[in-house]
Amino acid sequence: MGAELGKYKACVSARSTDKEILKHAQDGGIVTSLLGYALDTGIIDGAIVAVNKEFAAKHQSLIMRDNTNWDMVEPWRPFPAVVSTKADLLAAAGTKYNISPNVSMIKEATRSFGLDKVGIVGTPCQMQAVRKLQLYPIGARDVGAAVALAVGIFCMENFPYQSILQLVEDHAAMKMESVKKMEIGKGKFWIYGKRGQVVQLPLKVTHKYEQPGCHVCLDYVANLGDISTGSVGSPDGWSTVFVRSKIGDSVWANAMAAGVFETQPIEKVKPGLELVTKLANEKITKNKNTLEARKTFGVGKALRSPYI
Amino acid sequence: MSKVVEISPTTRHEGHSKLVLKVNDQGIIETGNWCSITPVRGVEKLAVGKTPEQVPKIASRVCGICPIAHNLAATEAMEASIKCEIPKDAKMLRHILQLANRLHSIALHDILILPDLYIPGTEVMINPFTAEEPVRTVAKRIQRLREIGQTVGQIAGGDCIHPRNTRVGGMYRNCSEQAKTKMYDLAKEGLVLAKAQMDFMIAVLRNYQARESVTVGGMKVALPKTLGYHNQGYLATDAFYGSSSLDECPTWDIDRFKEVRPWDWYMGEMEVSLEEPRYPVGGTTKLGTKVNPQMEACTGIPMYDGQPVEVGPRARLVTYKNYDEKGTVGQNIAREMEYTDSLYEMIDCIDALNPDGKVVADYIPDGDGSLGWASNEAPRGTDVHITRVKDWKVQYFSMLVPTTWNFATCSAALTGAPWQLAEVIMRGYDPCVSCATHMIVVDEDNKLVAQKLIQ
Amino acid sequence: MADKITLGYTHLSGCTGCTVALADNYAGLLTLLDRYVDLKYMPTLADVRHVQKVDVSFVEGSCCINDKLAVEELKETREKSTVVVALGGCACYGNITRFSRGGQQNQPQHEAYLPIGDIIKVDVYIPGCAPTPQMIRNVAVMAYLLLKGTKEQKELATAFLKPLMMAAQRGTTACFCELMTEVINQGLCMGCGSCASACPVNAITHEYGKPQGERDLCIKCGACYNQCPRSWFSFDVVENYEAINEAIMAALQ
Ligand SMILES: Cc1cc2nc3c(=O)[nH]c(=O)nc-3n(C[C@H](O)[C@H](O)[C@H](O)COP(=O)(O)OP(=O)(O)OC[C@H]3O[C@@H](n4cnc5c(N)ncnc54)[C@H](O)[C@@H]3O)c2cc1C
Ligand code: SF4
Ligand code: SF4
Ligand code: SF4
Ligand SMILES: [Fe+2]
Repeated sequence: MGAELGKYKACVSARSTDKEILKHAQDGGIVTSLLGYALDTGIIDGAIVAVNKEFAAKHQSLIMRDNTNWDMVEPWRPFPAVVSTKADLLAAAGTKYNISPNVSMIKEATRSFGLDKVGIVGTPCQMQAVRKLQLYPIGARDVGAAVALAVGIFCMENFPYQSILQLVEDHAAMKMESVKKMEIGKGKFWIYGKRGQVVQLPLKVTHKYEQPGCHVCLDYVANLGDISTGSVGSPDGWSTVFVRSKIGDSVWANAMAAGVFETQPIEKVKPGLELVTKLANEKITKNKNTLEARKTFGVGKALRSPYI
Repeated sequence: MSKVVEISPTTRHEGHSKLVLKVNDQGIIETGNWCSITPVRGVEKLAVGKTPEQVPKIASRVCGICPIAHNLAATEAMEASIKCEIPKDAKMLRHILQLANRLHSIALHDILILPDLYIPGTEVMINPFTAEEPVRTVAKRIQRLREIGQTVGQIAGGDCIHPRNTRVGGMYRNCSEQAKTKMYDLAKEGLVLAKAQMDFMIAVLRNYQARESVTVGGMKVALPKTLGYHNQGYLATDAFYGSSSLDECPTWDIDRFKEVRPWDWYMGEMEVSLEEPRYPVGGTTKLGTKVNPQMEACTGIPMYDGQPVEVGPRARLVTYKNYDEKGTVGQNIAREMEYTDSLYEMIDCIDALNPDGKVVADYIPDGDGSLGWASNEAPRGTDVHITRVKDWKVQYFSMLVPTTWNFATCSAALTGAPWQLAEVIMRGYDPCVSCATHMIVVDEDNKLVAQKLIQ
Repeated sequence: MADKITLGYTHLSGCTGCTVALADNYAGLLTLLDRYVDLKYMPTLADVRHVQKVDVSFVEGSCCINDKLAVEELKETREKSTVVVALGGCACYGNITRFSRGGQQNQPQHEAYLPIGDIIKVDVYIPGCAPTPQMIRNVAVMAYLLLKGTKEQKELATAFLKPLMMAAQRGTTACFCELMTEVINQGLCMGCGSCASACPVNAITHEYGKPQGERDLCIKCGACYNQCPRSWFSFDVVENYEAINEAIMAALQ
């Protein structure tokens, strides 16, 4: 096990046994099923997820926004929300390829929402943020110990909203409103229309649109999640799952025992861990190079590195 | 011949203050000056020109023990100036937050006064941090009560030390049904503990009161039956919450208020002529040290109807419940009685809270410069903030903080007590000195600016 | 178990909220005092009136340079302590006292307030307004391990405290502006939301995923900047979060 995949106790290819979840989920429905199971069994009493505009406008007490004109909010913009029912979890399923600052809700979840055991899903950087605030709770009083389950999702990069808009509306010549799903996989950016059309863009065109902050990110597979998951490595409709922490281990074991997931050994599936490792290394190497280049960016002036 | 003794800094309370005491040959205080020596951060002055949204957040940081009262009084003074009525559920959240703060504050005060008191039936003075029983059980109960108060405050107020949820026009967020249930559970648990803690403290205080003499730093000191008695009046604006100039019948009258500078009130330059190295811990100020309360005091002397008054738990109980026990012990017992009071009231407020209700006013005016004030009954007394807001900028801001009211009153209450017990009397007021060191309502001619502004 | 470390607490121009935060470790405070920390000097909670020689001093509040007593007390604290910890936004960055400009009775000359790092050398920062009980607890336990622990414990404590020591070296300004100048302007922000949740005055929201700071609300506490994983981040420490969290919890059991 190389450092690029982080510490883990087990790695499997898995899929939810709940057909309804699979219909709405991005990949194997791991995140939604796991959080749903945790809600059912009292492991968590609410979860921070990324909801869409329609849900947010209808459930404003579950999000934190003042001063929003919902008629002006664009489709496919995510909003962090604290949900505590399986129906609301389901409504939040699916990947939104632009920024959802999920950690912004983590303190409020323990305040006006009244949660004692918080679940959260997030990208690798958001998992880093969660762990930093557990160890160094500078502005996060009484939050660290309330984080009961942190589910990480793999992430090569994220995009500003405007980037997604331009990719969809300019490069793919589709309306944002008519997009049913977006996906990055097999070296392409896929856009599925509500009427069944499929457009694929080579990743080459997406690169310039990436969020710059992602270029110093040294984590691909959410090394700091209790459990982390993504599509890479597993067949279509299945997910690759790393079980990492003690909490993750126990939640996963119980969920398996409860029949929440079906699994296959990761060694048996194609393309398997080899591809995950390759992509992780690519990301880390590329971004380490970026960090190196930042040291000599100016004339006798460096750009800052956050890592110490 | 009277002598001068100085205790500086005083301990087991918030902030920096000192006691300058003129005592007779028997060591009985003839004149006592208790004054703040906390640097003046000038919050009233720095508030001018800032937004009414920011000033209450800064006001909260005047004091970390009564931040809730400052934050609420400042916010509500802004609302009074701009004439903004807030929704009922916002009010409920503020009430809950305020009572939660009172609960934690009473419990904290228990820790601060216990070292002056004895375990009943023994000659052992109480160290609240000792691991030995029965003290450890009490300490844990105190900390659990504080935890309950702080956690409820955190839910209703976003954060419990400096609240985050209050805003001009209401609150940022209402609580969820789940949060409401959690607050209920905590308040119910708190009630049981508070009852036990109150009984314990009252027993310990009565035991103290019944003693002929007490020991201070190895010195045996006769305990007067009139410890902490004074003849000043009382001021309270509500049994629980407060009042404001928006009320139909406000319970505070700005015209009856006046303030003078310590110059008129405190003693001038003197020299320390009595030094007691045994006074715990580290002794009193060295012989020959120059002291000058008039010049050193960092607060003014507020008066209501021309006299300093007492504010705080006893003032509330006297004003609203005909409580009638004078002196330091009576004052501490009044505070203990507010334990269960605040929890019963908190439960009523949680009951009344509708999690689906709106918590922000529909319209929040920018203000036309009208004078507005709001009082909030802080754990240690009436906290009145006065302001003028025009075009969403603060033009004038003033804080009349509980301990400021109490400085002069407590100074009067020192007379007749052995000087070694001066700090015991002072602690009865649960002083919060940083708080107190923040007011200006007089101009150069010693006239009330606030009053002038009304005309 | 080795002896306890000695602790002092110097209170300058702070609001005592930091003290309350320390006390808000609730039962954990009693455990800390039982096992790890001998409280030598802390006038708010105990009777010792003058600064004592100690292993670790917490300093709450900024320092009014127009108040002789405060400046002397701060310098004396430095001289008498092996480690000085700036506790809270005021001591680290000035916080609301950055807005002070004097002119108020009864001491109108009290005008200039400085974070303590502008007057003495500070070893460790605990920013935030109020700082959190857990952060104070973690630093107290780590200071104990650093001074009294085994070799491995010393290493762990050194690694843990390093970012907080670097924060102390970095300087005495941090507010939303530093989030802009040192994170966003440097192309490092990735929109996690930590800053918004850290802010004690709700000054930060996220617009299209990125922080929007209401600078007329910001009180200059430095919580957002220091909570941000892109201001500083130590893989050495954070990757071992599980073991470290467990060790701290076990220490307080
Ligand atoms: C920006 C981004 C980039 C990604 N890149 C890769 C990659 O390179 N390789 C790979 O294998 N997987 C990647 N993923 C993960 C993948 O797209 C799926 O999210 C993951 O496999 C989980 O699928 P699922 O069916 O288990 O989850 P679901 O059951 O569909 O649940 C997904 C959960 O993620 C939350 N979510 C959606 N969007 C966001 C967001 N922007 N920020 C935070 N949370 C969000 C949802 O609220 C939901 O709870 C990426 C995800 C994101 C958000
Ligand atoms: S690449 Fe890294 S920084 Fe960017 S969104 Fe993903 S995890 Fe965050
Ligand atoms: S934006 Fe908020 S967290 Fe950041 S320094 Fe200002 S007040 Fe503190
Ligand atoms: S905490 Fe830092 S990285 Fe995260 S959103 Fe705020 S500025 Fe960006
Ligand atoms: Fe106070």
